[in-house]
Amino acid sequence: MVEPIIHMEDVHKRFGRVHALRGVHLDVQVGEVVVILGPSGSGKSTLLRCINHLEVHDSGDIVVDGMPLKSAADINAVRREVGMVFQSFNLFGHLTVMDNLTLAQCVVRKRPKDEAKEMALKLLSKVGISEKADAYPGQLSGGQQQRVAIARALAMNPKIMLFDEPTSALDPEMIKEVLDVMQALAVEGMTMVVVSHEMGFARAAASRCIFMDEGQIVEEGPPDGLFLNPEKDRTKVFLSKVLQA
Amino acid sequence: MSPLSQFRKPRGIRAARTPSGDDEARTPEELTHIDGAALGYRLDPWWWLVVAVAGLIMLLIVVRADPYLNILLFVRDGLLVTVILTLSSFVLIMGVGIVGGLGRISGNRVIRFVASLYVEIVRGIPLLVQLMWWYFAAPVVIQAIGNALDITALAQYRANAIFLAIMGLVVCYGAYMSEIFRAGITSIHRGQMEAARSLGMNYLQSMRYVILPQAMRVVLPPVGNEFIMLLKDTSLVSVVAVADLTRRGREFMAIHFNPIEVWTFIALLYLVMTLFSARLIAWLEKRRGVGAQ
Repeated sequence: MVEPIIHMEDVHKRFGRVHALRGVHLDVQVGEVVVILGPSGSGKSTLLRCINHLEVHDSGDIVVDGMPLKSAADINAVRREVGMVFQSFNLFGHLTVMDNLTLAQCVVRKRPKDEAKEMALKLLSKVGISEKADAYPGQLSGGQQQRVAIARALAMNPKIMLFDEPTSALDPEMIKEVLDVMQALAVEGMTMVVVSHEMGFARAAASRCIFMDEGQIVEEGPPDGLFLNPEKDRTKVFLSKVLQA
Repeated sequence: MSPLSQFRKPRGIRAARTPSGDDEARTPEELTHIDGAALGYRLDPWWWLVVAVAGLIMLLIVVRADPYLNILLFVRDGLLVTVILTLSSFVLIMGVGIVGGLGRISGNRVIRFVASLYVEIVRGIPLLVQLMWWYFAAPVVIQAIGNALDITALAQYRANAIFLAIMGLVVCYGAYMSEIFRAGITSIHRGQMEAARSLGMNYLQSMRYVILPQAMRVVLPPVGNEFIMLLKDTSLVSVVAVADLTRRGREFMAIHFNPIEVWTFIALLYLVMTLFSARLIAWLEKRRGVGAQ
């Protein structure tokens, strides 16, 4: 068995009295696309945010790309390898699209400005908005902003991409343009962990689906298996609600 | 202003053309723009007030050279001291404000406590009393420390009035500025910091490239306000042996005994400086798209 690129073992996380993660075990292999589903408050975003240390887990082990997160090792080294896309885009509002894409390349990767710009243009055309390079985020639609955010994360050449409900803040007609970009990434073999309720995306792109509830992984399996023949009652209840909607 | 709306705002919107919540909104008939060649920007109508006060000063000097030109010549070194005192203190205050503001929101309990204690103590003491302390008490304290530790340089310390006045102003205004920066930094949506950190930037890089540039826009109006208050409050240093504009005015009055002319003229000199600063700040705000919602 190949060493997993993300390894989580018995991970616990509490926020005060709320026990958000209750002993999560998860291995993700290189090239896998894992989609995490679950009701709100089930800990799926917390799980994702633990992978790049935006939340610090209380106990258990997390190893990302061979680097254990608990050791005092440079957390920024892990974050360089892990791209993150947020529900609310979080583009830097005072910078142009181009500068959003080049800032971290120059500051963190120490790339020369020209090289960073070249990379940025390549990625912008990949997500289909090269013509917006000089616009400010506030001048873009939500779908465009989210595609810029994906390009910004990709500009760091991450080995893993994390998506935290990337389409939840979008109008319905913009969801597709973002999912298309994500699907293209999946086809290219990017390792992805996606928190999303987009069943269409999960079926088309996911190699594995995980259902979480109350801080634990309840059930996992290939998307068709999980959606069509869930084993656990909690999964059935949740899916029946989501699929109805 | 919600945190979200503030980072969705496109840059460079010129508020001058839209009468929205601006000073100009109250006088729309005055919204005719004058070409401001000197600043490369359309000047707002309040510049006329600056011009009017400056013109009045000129007029007084020309029409009644005695005493107004005499006053101006007499106080000009004090005017320079006031300007230098204001500018140099302000630069240091900004530094203290950023450090203090970051300290107030630090995750480290000790740093947060020290920063909060500083703000709470300094805010509670009148500026004049603080200036008195720095001028009269601080040198004695320094000498006592020098004697105790047998350091001759400290034991023989002689008060430098300007240096101690700057210390007093910086320590006092630094506390207020810390609060302004704390508010400005916390007004930036936490997702901005998370995005920056996710890209591998460390805390200081994220602050420098992502948070502070956006916080600067938010704090510009209150920071400008502090600058104008500082300019006026420098007049307090006249009681701690600094020959600033106010003190030089009092000296002139002591010689010639013409209080009406002296204090009217000094007031006009302060006024032209504060009005000019206010316009400069308003111009900066517009240029940066602040308040353009």
